[in-house]
Amino acid sequence: MDFALNEEQIMFQETTRQFLESKGDLAISRSYMEGNEQVSEELWDGLGKLGFMGINVPESYGGISLGALSLVPIFEEMGRAVVPGPYPETLAFAVPLLETYGSEAQKNAYLPQISQGKRKFTLAMEESGDKNSSPANIQTRAERRGEEYLVQGSKILVPHADIADTLIVPVRTGGSHSEYGISLLLIDTDQVSLELKTTQSMDETRKMFSVTFQEVKVPKTQLLGPENAGWPILQFGLYHLNAALCSTMVGGMDRTVDMATEYAKTREQFGQPIGRFQAVKHKIVDMKLALENARSLSYYAAWAVENNSEDMAEAVSMARSYTSEAYIDSAGSNIQIHGGMGFTWEYNCHLFLKRARFLENYLGSPRYHRETVASELGW
Amino acid sequence: MDFSYTETELAFQTELRTWLEENLPEGWIDGNRYIPEDNQQKGEFLREWQRKLSEGGWAGISWPKQYGGRGASLIEEVIYEQEMARVKAPPVLNIIGTAMVGPTILQIGTEQQKERYIPKILNGEEIWSQGYSEPNAGSDLAAVQTKAVKKGDKWSINGQKIWTSYAHLSDRCFLLVRTDNTGKKHEGMTAFLIDMHQEGVETRTIRSINDRRDFNEVFFNDAVAYDADVVGEVNNGWKVSLTLLSHERVGVARQTFRLQKQFDELVDLAKTLTSNGNSLIEDPIVRQELASFRAKTKALLFSYYRHLTTAIRTGRPGPEGSMDKLASSELGQKMLAYAMSLHGSSNTLWKDDALVDPSWQHDYLRSFAYTIEGGTSEIQKNIVAERILGLPKDIKY
Repeated sequence: MDFALNEEQIMFQETTRQFLESKGDLAISRSYMEGNEQVSEELWDGLGKLGFMGINVPESYGGISLGALSLVPIFEEMGRAVVPGPYPETLAFAVPLLETYGSEAQKNAYLPQISQGKRKFTLAMEESGDKNSSPANIQTRAERRGEEYLVQGSKILVPHADIADTLIVPVRTGGSHSEYGISLLLIDTDQVSLELKTTQSMDETRKMFSVTFQEVKVPKTQLLGPENAGWPILQFGLYHLNAALCSTMVGGMDRTVDMATEYAKTREQFGQPIGRFQAVKHKIVDMKLALENARSLSYYAAWAVENNSEDMAEAVSMARSYTSEAYIDSAGSNIQIHGGMGFTWEYNCHLFLKRARFLENYLGSPRYHRETVASELGW
Repeated sequence: MDFSYTETELAFQTELRTWLEENLPEGWIDGNRYIPEDNQQKGEFLREWQRKLSEGGWAGISWPKQYGGRGASLIEEVIYEQEMARVKAPPVLNIIGTAMVGPTILQIGTEQQKERYIPKILNGEEIWSQGYSEPNAGSDLAAVQTKAVKKGDKWSINGQKIWTSYAHLSDRCFLLVRTDNTGKKHEGMTAFLIDMHQEGVETRTIRSINDRRDFNEVFFNDAVAYDADVVGEVNNGWKVSLTLLSHERVGVARQTFRLQKQFDELVDLAKTLTSNGNSLIEDPIVRQELASFRAKTKALLFSYYRHLTTAIRTGRPGPEGSMDKLASSELGQKMLAYAMSLHGSSNTLWKDDALVDPSWQHDYLRSFAYTIEGGTSEIQKNIVAERILGLPKDIKY
């Protein structure tokens, strides 16, 4: 029985925090929000040089072959600083998918570049239909024309499509609404011409785009996994990605608890720190309790995906449903504890609320994930 | 991370499981769990279970082997609680004796006290209670006013204790009283080991909201204790009490595992109950609620495992126990409240007329004590705020 991060993982946490602090911590996000996109490029390069982008890449492709649990502390730290950049999409979606389902050529083409910090991935999954998270919502079509696919359709809510080198795109190669007929394509942005439209996202630390594919030609060698059987592969990737997003949310919650605690210790009213009032201190304890619940569930979710355990789907959905809501609550309470200052653009409280709200319904709402838990348990 | 038990731990688990199958009252494991309501019969039932545990070597398992224990590790104690919760074993009547008083006497008691008390705690011959709370000393425990005054080698005790679990069934009591009124209130207390079967001690059961009588008021009218009954030193009772509490290593494990079991039963309840001919478990809103409870119940278990890992790595439990206690008692209360709602309009039918199993109504009412006993939720929140988060202490008088 041992349920905690190991020494190496604790070291990852410390190193990531030191690195992010050296780059300005929350100032990274503030600077990015103001249009200075260079900071996010520098961050990616820096993390690549430190070897962090190869943590879960197999050794034979230039990484160090660790699993999802080793990414937990790194994603927590990234969440604490609400950093911009498609880190979860690259490390916790593209890497496990390529490793498990990629052809040898695909692995050789992408994995070493990822581990060197030279290739970013993102996920272009959502479409504008109202059948979120169900296969019926995937209507972007890819038709075989000889050695190529012709892709036609559009995707919304694609994070960081402007800087991504490769998009992983679920498309329909068959069927119309069923799980059957979905395939995953790896689309390199420098090989095709895509219509990108930036959308104004409340969470300005995460730039979102709609991407339109107008008869985009993609070589059939860019198919990830077998044709028409991409749905379960996509789900496998989403288990990893959602587990990682949970860790980023836990990091964000951790930061809101720290901020609220620090503020309550120093802000004085009625001649004493407001943290002496039980109405305030007990509220922070509730935040702390929710944080540790979320952290425990996120550890277990990461353990489940790392070990490909039978209850992986349930573990991830439990963590995701709980954490998505708890993060919103914690970010809201943090604003309340800060009083009027928490309502200002200048203070950082709102960054967490907006990230939490963005993630709430992205890749499965809490309600969707709870229903997943219910059906996974055979209810 | 590793959720597995070692071979030794697994062997321990199997041994206990087998023993429980053979020794629990007939039909117990199959769900026919009957504990008499009548207090005298209940006392006999619990004494009988205690005797079986003691004879089987399943009382005081963490005690050193030389004193008749198994020298169980912390993990083995946790497994013990897990197995007991799994079969919903009857309460251990002498839990105060085996979990706290015994280990405290072994740690700081005199040779004479060890000889006199230890064997009878372990074999269940003497049942112990713990006299802490008073009408005016609840959360503010250091405000105890029950007094012991020395006359020769005797002490004369006067005052009142309350909420003393199983005092009416106990033979001895670990009693915290005031022996000096002149200094700070945390000083001047002394812990005694007293005889409950004496003239100056009267117990009155308290009828609780669930119509049970497990708690008591205890009145002391010139009750007698001797110098030899003092634990530790005179006026050092506060520290002795903390020593006593530090031996309760797995109370939180007990609550955590109980909650896992209650959750499983809640799901079964939703499968059993119907509305318009459909099982409640098919209702989308019920599924949402249950999935939410599932996540919280699991979170509690995994948080407990994390804190257990810390305790194993550092060799001592931290203030995180307060978080587990707070979370489990609050969650348990909410879950049982939800079980009541699921019952529909028959939710308040209880005892012989309960719709499903009267233990739902009983446990629901009992759950109101979860967030009060052993330190209220408000006190736990203060502990978490002050000791874990470093927030300013409450103003104390």
